[in-house]
Amino acid sequence: MNRAEEPSGLEGYLDIEERDARPVHRRTLLYLFRYILRQRKFLFPGIFLILVSTSAVLLEPRLLGFAIDEGMIPKSWYHLKRIATLFFFVECVRVSASIGHAYLFEALGQRVMQDLRMALFTHLQEIPVSVYDRNPVGRLVTRVTNDVSALAEMFSAGFVTILGNLLTVLGILVWLLVLNVKLGLLAASVLPFLILASIYFSAKLRIAYRNARSKLSALNAFLAENILGMRVVHLFNRQGLHLRRFLRVNQWYADAQVSSIRVYAFFQPTITISAGMAVGLIIWFGGRMALSGEIKLGILVAYFSYALSLFQPMRELADKWNIFLSGMASAERVFSILDWKPEFRQGDSQRAAGPIKDLRGHIVFENVWFAYDQEHWILRDVSFEIQPGERVGVVGHTGAGKTTIISLLLRFYEPQKGKIILDGKDLREYDKRALRASLGIIQQDVFLFSGSTWDNVMLWRELSGAAHESIDSLLTSMGLTEQLRDRTRSLQERGSNLSMGERQILAFARASVANPAIWILDEATANVDSQSEVELESALRRISDGKTTILIAHRLATVRSANQILVFHKGALVESGRHVQLMKKGGLYSKLYRYQENLESHFSQTV
Amino acid sequence: MSSLVFAWRKFLDRNSLLRHYLWKYRKFVVIGLGSLLMVDVLEVLPPFILKKSIDALTEGQPLRRLAQMAFAYFGVSLLQGVGRYGWRMYLIRASMFSGRDIRQRYTEHLFGLSASFFDRRRIGDLMSLATNDVEAVRMAMGAGLLTLADAFFYFLTVPIAMYLLSPKLTLLAFVPLPFIPWFVMRNQQAVHSRFEKVQNFFSKLAAMAQENLNGIRVIKAFAREDAQIRRFRAAGEEFVGLNMHLARVQTAFGPILDFTMSMGLVLLLFIGGRGVIDGAVTLGTFVAFQRYIQKMVWPMTALGMALAMHQRAIASSGRIKEIFSVQSDVPQPKIAQGEFTQTLGGARGKVEFRKLSFSFPGTQEIVLSDVDLTIEPGERVAFVGTIGAGKSALLSLLPRLYPAKRGMLWVDGIDVNDWPIEELRRQVGYVGQEVFLFSETVTENIAFGLHNWMAESGQLAPIEEATRLAAVHEDVLNLVEGYHTRLGERGVNLSGGQKQRVTIARALIKQPAILVLDDALSSVDVQTEEKILKSLRSRVGRNTEIIAAHRISTVRDADRIVVLQEGRVFESGVHAKLMRANGTYRKFYDEQRLKEDLDQFIQKYEEKKQSSGDFA
Repeated sequence: MNRAEEPSGLEGYLDIEERDARPVHRRTLLYLFRYILRQRKFLFPGIFLILVSTSAVLLEPRLLGFAIDEGMIPKSWYHLKRIATLFFFVECVRVSASIGHAYLFEALGQRVMQDLRMALFTHLQEIPVSVYDRNPVGRLVTRVTNDVSALAEMFSAGFVTILGNLLTVLGILVWLLVLNVKLGLLAASVLPFLILASIYFSAKLRIAYRNARSKLSALNAFLAENILGMRVVHLFNRQGLHLRRFLRVNQWYADAQVSSIRVYAFFQPTITISAGMAVGLIIWFGGRMALSGEIKLGILVAYFSYALSLFQPMRELADKWNIFLSGMASAERVFSILDWKPEFRQGDSQRAAGPIKDLRGHIVFENVWFAYDQEHWILRDVSFEIQPGERVGVVGHTGAGKTTIISLLLRFYEPQKGKIILDGKDLREYDKRALRASLGIIQQDVFLFSGSTWDNVMLWRELSGAAHESIDSLLTSMGLTEQLRDRTRSLQERGSNLSMGERQILAFARASVANPAIWILDEATANVDSQSEVELESALRRISDGKTTILIAHRLATVRSANQILVFHKGALVESGRHVQLMKKGGLYSKLYRYQENLESHFSQTV
Repeated sequence: MSSLVFAWRKFLDRNSLLRHYLWKYRKFVVIGLGSLLMVDVLEVLPPFILKKSIDALTEGQPLRRLAQMAFAYFGVSLLQGVGRYGWRMYLIRASMFSGRDIRQRYTEHLFGLSASFFDRRRIGDLMSLATNDVEAVRMAMGAGLLTLADAFFYFLTVPIAMYLLSPKLTLLAFVPLPFIPWFVMRNQQAVHSRFEKVQNFFSKLAAMAQENLNGIRVIKAFAREDAQIRRFRAAGEEFVGLNMHLARVQTAFGPILDFTMSMGLVLLLFIGGRGVIDGAVTLGTFVAFQRYIQKMVWPMTALGMALAMHQRAIASSGRIKEIFSVQSDVPQPKIAQGEFTQTLGGARGKVEFRKLSFSFPGTQEIVLSDVDLTIEPGERVAFVGTIGAGKSALLSLLPRLYPAKRGMLWVDGIDVNDWPIEELRRQVGYVGQEVFLFSETVTENIAFGLHNWMAESGQLAPIEEATRLAAVHEDVLNLVEGYHTRLGERGVNLSGGQKQRVTIARALIKQPAILVLDDALSSVDVQTEEKILKSLRSRVGRNTEIIAAHRISTVRDADRIVVLQEGRVFESGVHAKLMRANGTYRKFYDEQRLKEDLDQFIQKYEEKKQSSGDFA
């Protein structure tokens, strides 16, 4: 405990939660079992083949014994030949069965893994957005990939080996006792001790591994932080000190590795020596029994082989048990995600969603209050009405709550108080996905997926040939070059080679493909040069003509011509009306407008 | 065998990491290999003892002989146990020490590299070198060397023992064996290339999941979850296919090796058994051969495995050595520290830019050109200009984060290239745009520049003085654990303004002669900023202050304001003079005024609302 008293400067890196410490829950095992049982066509043949190969393993020394007793000692070439031939066939069966069950269990593992991955992925599509606010994407990705892989390793390495080894050990034990009870008991006499030793070492090993892992993650955390903050380290001449700290955590890690090696270094010789003792006992007692004619010589020779095969699996068991446990820890994490509540009926995400029929686009906010964390109100008592077909501008400073209005319309979140009414019906009465499919959203930062422009526009929608044509002409009319319309060409690194204007065109196209009843533009033309802006404006006008359109803008000039402008400040709707009315009023809107006007005139002077 | 030659050549290379560390831990390695040799030599005995026991039984020798054999068998395994303990504790331990040493050398090297190196490299790659690649080299030293030596020792011992027992049967037993290294090599190659495919696809799958989760809002907003699931399923199926493709070569590996050995046994049964019947071979020899044949499978396998491990290590050590070969572009001058301190005069804090031009290392773009400027000790100079005007680049040259060409930048009459880096950085208190705090307590983060602070009593007085100057003292007291609150990635998250003020306190505590604030007050509100700027004027040991900012309020009271545009000095002078000049600065000022005007309006507006109770 000396370490705790003397500050090492590394305390901040060590407080990593140790997830593997949790015990294996029965529920997790049951869940897993359900997934395994779905793969019966691999599971049962696999188990059958394991039984076959284990039987062959058991038969092999016995056959050698027969060869000695029936062939060599009576000098019968005939018998020897037949036994040797039989041996050959047994070996053929064994090798085929071994390959077969290894392959089948690999297939089983892969299938279970794919099922789990899909269950997890599908579930992640169904949980509400608010969950993503709380969980870093990196961690979720780790669940879908690494944890599922750890599970697969548990199947292909841990599970099969444990099962195979256990069967072998049990088989040999039974077989030894059947052949000769006395000698069998003798050979097995060291086994209880060895089993106890295995349990002991396996526990030790787990602690050592866990320790090494936590030291490694402290080392990684420290190094990563220092690489990120290298400038600061340099500016304050801390290289020497931080290097010394690194040496300390590096040493901790090396020590932890060594202590895991030490466990092995004791464990493996324990098995060697136990096996030696068992064979020594067999030589002495078995030899005397053979002399007295109590057993045949061939059986004695077979016993030598059996004794050694008895100890071989023990070497692996302790290790594989740990793989099994860490696989279970992964399973636990995977299933804990599956427990999160989805935002709509489970499995709904696998169907294609269609828009709400005959939506007019009449939107009413009635005393809506909203906070992400139940404490800081983002929207305070917001009420407004948007008539069907109206163009409405929403303006205000950053943090005024403009974007939150969209999130509520999309039902990414639900308001705490008040309600939102769409076409006379509470928003909550609509199917979430149908509702979302009815809204066309264009945002400032266009999220592009890797894939072609076509994929990004269609979002992997499957359409008829005629629909293809019409979308192609739409893209052309928006000014997308032929090169970018190429369906087979993938975007470079998520469209890093596209200009802002081109990205916006893709976003417009993406939204218009769904033919939405309501358009929402969130700062959609903020980063676009004026030429593209004009083109986009006119394209949008054409498409959204007569449909309800909500324009969220930082630049007020964008919303000047709107039917209605809603001015937000710190979550409250402070002014509303047409541009002329608001300017006349001389409130927040007019101040903002004048400021921006001035800024832009200055900007155009310097550029 | 060509891969063996290649590995050997790499081993002989002057910079071979493997050879270096084998030599460094030669004692461990020798004891380890000695233990291994002992285990392998002893490995010859058990079959021989079994033979003697069987022969004793068939030839009717006295019982004492049997007891001796039983005892000998046990004795051999006891010694082998000791030997196995030995090679693990020495050989494998040596590899772990080497891994530790390589990581240390690597980290030491990283700490000596300059900002431009870290600008170019991704942190993930640098981390992967420290973990995966070091591990690959370590494995080659531990398990790699072990399997190679093991195979070698087996070849030296077991065939000799077999030959001594029966030359004819030995030849026979080796008939199927040469097939093994060929098979192992071929198999390992197939496994490796298929494994690589699996790995690559795994990254693709992970990237796909990542992309999906990053874009989940878009997917949900368009209700396109179904398409994503369809795509991910297809990719997952492909991944399963690749895995099964790998499994085809992997699952066959062990059983086929076993089968080769079994074929040896079948041959032994036919020919050795015939020999027993004919009386040419004793039953004991037959039994011993059975064991020996089983034993010879391992060294053949080990040879293939060791080669694969060494190939991986060669690739990894190549990557590590590539980093070792990178040199810092801000090297330490050759002058000794003590000597240097004597040449330093009394006046501190004079900065001269003499026709300075600059491009970031490894790039062509000219960021600064022809900057000619002298800053006198005690002066407060403010730099303004648009983003990309070169303010940050100019300021980052002062503490030599990036290299300035000789003769272009002088501090206290000495070329920065001649300053010992540590001394220069002690004199220059630089606060950059990005705030970076370490996973330590507030106190430790602020005392960052005081190296002996912790050791020498760890008093709070200087810390508090600095936090008061930076106007963050009250904020710290309001934290749950006050000055003992842990910050950083896993600690408490301060607001942007608080972080900035903590970093300023961190710079102030070392009482630098030159304080550089590169847009370091951007997230601090105007009133607090004014307070800080005022108190900076009165700080102990105050000297030169160089400030870059976007806000008029930050720069207005400076002794001199320098307007940078496209890397050149455009205008300079005091506020009043620049205002009269009616140039760029004036425009900048007007724009800022309007913004401040608006802010004030909003503030008043909020106060009005608050008093009327509109905001809950």
